[in-house]
Amino acid sequence: MFNLTEEEIERYSRHIILPEVGGAGQQKLKEASVLVVGAGGLGSPVLLYLTAAGIGRIGVIEDDVVDLTNLQRQVLHTTSDVGKPKVESASETMKQINPHVQVDVYHERLNKDNIFALLDRYDIVVDGVDNFPTRYLINDACVMKKKILVEGGILRFMGLIMSIKGGETACYRCVYEEPPPPGTVPSCAEAGILGAVAGVLGTLQATEVLKIVTGVGEPLYNRLLQFDAEELRFHEVNARRNPRCPVCGEKPTITELVEYDHSCEIQAP
Amino acid sequence: MNADGSPEMLELNESAPSRGSGGVIELVVQGRPCLYDGDPDLGSLLEYRGENSLYVNVRINDEVLDQRDFENVPVREGDRIDFLYFMGGGLFVQPDRRRN
Repeated sequence: MFNLTEEEIERYSRHIILPEVGGAGQQKLKEASVLVVGAGGLGSPVLLYLTAAGIGRIGVIEDDVVDLTNLQRQVLHTTSDVGKPKVESASETMKQINPHVQVDVYHERLNKDNIFALLDRYDIVVDGVDNFPTRYLINDACVMKKKILVEGGILRFMGLIMSIKGGETACYRCVYEEPPPPGTVPSCAEAGILGAVAGVLGTLQATEVLKIVTGVGEPLYNRLLQFDAEELRFHEVNARRNPRCPVCGEKPTITELVEYDHSCEIQAP
Repeated sequence: MNADGSPEMLELNESAPSRGSGGVIELVVQGRPCLYDGDPDLGSLLEYRGENSLYVNVRINDEVLDQRDFENVPVREGDRIDFLYFMGGGLFVQPDRRRN
């Protein structure tokens, strides 16, 4: 009936016992493929939960190596991993958690030359990046390829999440048409992040993936959820499609992928 | 008005009067009702909240503003105002949280 071994049935029994998931839902998880962009603050909980949940094939793309400053929030990696490529550390941890999961690692930066080929290999994309250029690149590519994207962002004590069905529901540009003005933003290291906030948002992203794959509940389509840890509040904003959206609006002006400058340093006026 | 002349924004509760005129307007900011008696434009509201206008998009009554000259955008009684923060992962300036 289902292509699950005895061991898998036992491993996933707390999923399978949920009437909304059941054996059929677990089978869908096993047959699903998810690309996670970034194995950092958001990527860590996303990868941990998707692996534990039994997603059949998970791709991880990340060009960075583990740094001591990552360990306060990037719970996929340990002290002994410092200096190691994050994809390597991620893969090792994931295989320890669940050997049934196929892990594809890409130790490279996502760019406009490799993104389409990568998207073709996966059902769902999860954004766990730490910069705007890649965030916009992923959004645009997912709209153009009509892929499902679970978008997430964190900073300091705040986070946001929205799910996007490329070309059908509101995309990131429907809300944030363009990145903040270049040359005016603080450096990545200056802004800071409360470690557990990454856990909250990444876990929500993983939850969205599991819901979308199994068909349980209502995905966060056309809605943007903001999290404020300082006040412990969630604020949901209706994020319907924007007719002016430059990539999925009525008259799109972005019809080919664009890559913004990756600089994130403050440039003195 | 506060003693230093800055506008006062109060969270509405059952005992708070809902005036909506005479310089005080009732807004829903980030999903929370509040009274605002500052200058009735978005730039002033942003400044009062300590938001950096470079790093936030604004929606009024579910419409994303396509202009960034916020001082020219009026805020009116009953407006629902949402601040959509850019959170790219590091590239952000946190608002100075003086008040909700």
